[in-house]
Amino acid sequence: MNKGSVWFLIAVAVFVMALIVIAVYHFRRAQKSSQKDWRQLLTRLTIVNRSSIAEVALDIIDESGERRKDEGSAALEPSEIWKLVGGLKGLEMLEANCAVLIDLAFYVQQWYPEALAVAEQLRLSAKEIEWHVERLKGAQKTGKLESAFPMYAQPAVAAYYLMTRRVLALYEGGNLAMLADLREAL
Amino acid sequence: MHLTGLDLLFWAAGLGAHFILFSVLLIRRRFMVFPIFTAFVISNIGRTIALVLVELYGTKASYFYTYWSLAILDTALQLAVVYEMYSLTFRPLGSWARDLRGALAWLVIVSIVVAAGLTWLATPHARLWMQVVVIKGTFFSSACMSELFVGMIVLAVKAGLPWRTHVARISQGLGVYSLIDVLIEAGHSYLGVSRNTQTYTMLSHFRMSAYLVCVAYWIVMLWRDEPRPRKLSKNFRGQLIHLQTMVDSDLERVRARRRS
Repeated sequence: MNKGSVWFLIAVAVFVMALIVIAVYHFRRAQKSSQKDWRQLLTRLTIVNRSSIAEVALDIIDESGERRKDEGSAALEPSEIWKLVGGLKGLEMLEANCAVLIDLAFYVQQWYPEALAVAEQLRLSAKEIEWHVERLKGAQKTGKLESAFPMYAQPAVAAYYLMTRRVLALYEGGNLAMLADLREAL
Repeated sequence: MHLTGLDLLFWAAGLGAHFILFSVLLIRRRFMVFPIFTAFVISNIGRTIALVLVELYGTKASYFYTYWSLAILDTALQLAVVYEMYSLTFRPLGSWARDLRGALAWLVIVSIVVAAGLTWLATPHARLWMQVVVIKGTFFSSACMSELFVGMIVLAVKAGLPWRTHVARISQGLGVYSLIDVLIEAGHSYLGVSRNTQTYTMLSHFRMSAYLVCVAYWIVMLWRDEPRPRKLSKNFRGQLIHLQTMVDSDLERVRARRRS
């Protein structure tokens, strides 16, 4: 057996093992999330202060999601936003909850494939929030977190707030029995 | 080339299995959802018949050229099936998921680079340069295919995109077969093609067995129906359309803020 052949066999073995491990891990993860029942999904939601989220969001948007242009809009001070959101940690919690919101939309989609469009758009909204959080993490590294926080955090919170409203509307539309529990959690 | 009884058995089993799979695709109307996969099955039927006819009535050289020309077609169709599965998974609303385009491009590039690296390491022992090209080529394509299928699982899970039942089953079958094929092609490369082709043939038979299991899996899974969706009430449908419009405009607003 020459040296080249040995390296080739080792490389192929590592390659195949790596692919198997990656595939099995992700496949099991996908199966778990599709088999999760309603209660399990809700337990993944991190409890956040709903009134604080609403306060920060409704400072720049109205209940319908339109951007506020009145004099009283964008009145919150950066320090207040920081406190109400709970800093970067609070924002990361919202980011984690976005994944659950998508799963909640996916849960409905299992019976009503037409709900796919809503689930897909929620998924894209979650990506936008992720983008805002990433900008803030970058700002934290350069020591500019406090000044950048309101600029990125408030739109992210507004997007999260709208996501929760849309998921609730989805469940409301479907007359789904778990609506009361969801209202409680969101 | 002399065909043994076992060769003929594999030939008959492969042809029969593909005919059954094709019937399933027709009877259950799956060909409408999976036109490329159906074309892949039809090409396999045509390929098996063509090769036996050339083997019986053609020359050794004509068999060689027919075999490898059809093998290239088969690889191209397998890649097209990968595209079909990706398209059904990552185009949930008719266009490629915007946030995944970059990741998909990277996946293709990384898959090609890794497969090319492994192929470069292979040093098959062969008498003709053509055999080296063939062994390396088949190894490269099987390595690429297995990476693309595993990448598909990873991206779908990470993005939270659901797999439709039949897409998942076709992908799993082809993905597992590609992984087995990587090992077999590595064996082909390591052992090479010397005057004694017994081990080479044995590995080929093993590959065919794995493929037959894969076809049997597809037959069963594609015969079964996907879980039936519930019927939408008129009211819910209306609300869903309204909700989608609202979510669309939310998203545009978030994007506008991001740009400002």
